[in-house]
Amino acid sequence: MIKVPSDKLMPGMRLAKPIMNKAGMALLGEGTELTETWIMRIQDMELEGAVYVEGKQEMEVPLDEMLAALEKRFRTPEESHRMEIIKRAAERHIRNLYE
Amino acid sequence: MNDIIVSKVLRHRIENIGNLPTVPETLRRLSRIIEKPNVSLTEIAGFVQSDPALTFRILKMVNSAVYGFPGRIASVSHAIMLLGLNVVKGLLLGISVFELMQKAMAGLYEHSMGCAAASRIIAQKKGLREPEEAYVAGLIHDIGKVVMALEFTKAYEAALACAEQENISIERAEKQFFADNHPVLGGVLSEKWRFPKKLTEAILYHHQPSSAELFPLETAIVHLADILTKARGLGFSGDQIVPIVDDAAFDRLQLTEQDILEVFRDLEGSIEATQEVLL
Repeated sequence: MIKVPSDKLMPGMRLAKPIMNKAGMALLGEGTELTETWIMRIQDMELEGAVYVEGKQEMEVPLDEMLAALEKRFRTPEESHRMEIIKRAAERHIRNLYE
Repeated sequence: MNDIIVSKVLRHRIENIGNLPTVPETLRRLSRIIEKPNVSLTEIAGFVQSDPALTFRILKMVNSAVYGFPGRIASVSHAIMLLGLNVVKGLLLGISVFELMQKAMAGLYEHSMGCAAASRIIAQKKGLREPEEAYVAGLIHDIGKVVMALEFTKAYEAALACAEQENISIERAEKQFFADNHPVLGGVLSEKWRFPKKLTEAILYHHQPSSAELFPLETAIVHLADILTKARGLGFSGDQIVPIVDDAAFDRLQLTEQDILEVFRDLEGSIEATQEVLL
């Protein structure tokens, strides 16, 4: 899911979240493929929040920094088999964010 | 340090939260309303509607993708009907302490939102009937820290520094400077606000889930959610190191590595959605 300002929307992008107006009403549903007409209408409206379209977000922090921080957080004083499970899941999750 | 001597009487002062100088007027008024024994739907709705900013934020929150009814809740009374009084009370509290949390400790709100979302995700996985209650427990599980950091800023800073230098958990460091630590104070507040016992136990025992007598499952959920939020590195709670999970609590939840991976994944989406709600 990528957050896109309304002036950067392009035809063919697919909504990852519905577009809401100020009253919290959904105007365009999740999964809608944007056309030029839709984009013009969106740009004319006062939207509540940003527009989310499908795709992967660029990660701000490089992967190796994220993994180093993870190692640091898991300097647990005692051995724990259960903590190993949590750590492995966290590491797999972080790696998935970069794929 | 005078601050430290004063902090020994913290529990007494928290019981009179209405008199705490740093607590803003909205929270004081909210506190007075929600601690009433039989507060009615109309009273809560009336209170919220008297504050346009609060009304706006609660409607924005309940209408967001975070809840199951995007764009469909038009009034505070409607929100209470759909989500239940205790959930709305908790959300109001969460929204009202947002600024306070930011002021008390950078990163605490992000940690709390993460823990709230993770609690709900685990509760749903375990098939609990009211996952929103778990959400609220996660949202306010560290409320004790807010009051400690605001009322006794110096002593709390000393506790944070101590946790970092000695490589111990913040809740252990707190004990060196305060008579009671944050779970105990959070429990006191939860009782004062007449939250159900389920919530109070989850807050009071989120660091020692084996002490929960009545609601070990709900308490285990918040305990694990707190740890997963720290494992993911979301926000800051005062702990530099991820606390060790309680064996019994972990085993009670029976989550596999794959399940935990799914919790992390759902957590990621949920957090993006809530960030938007708060802006």
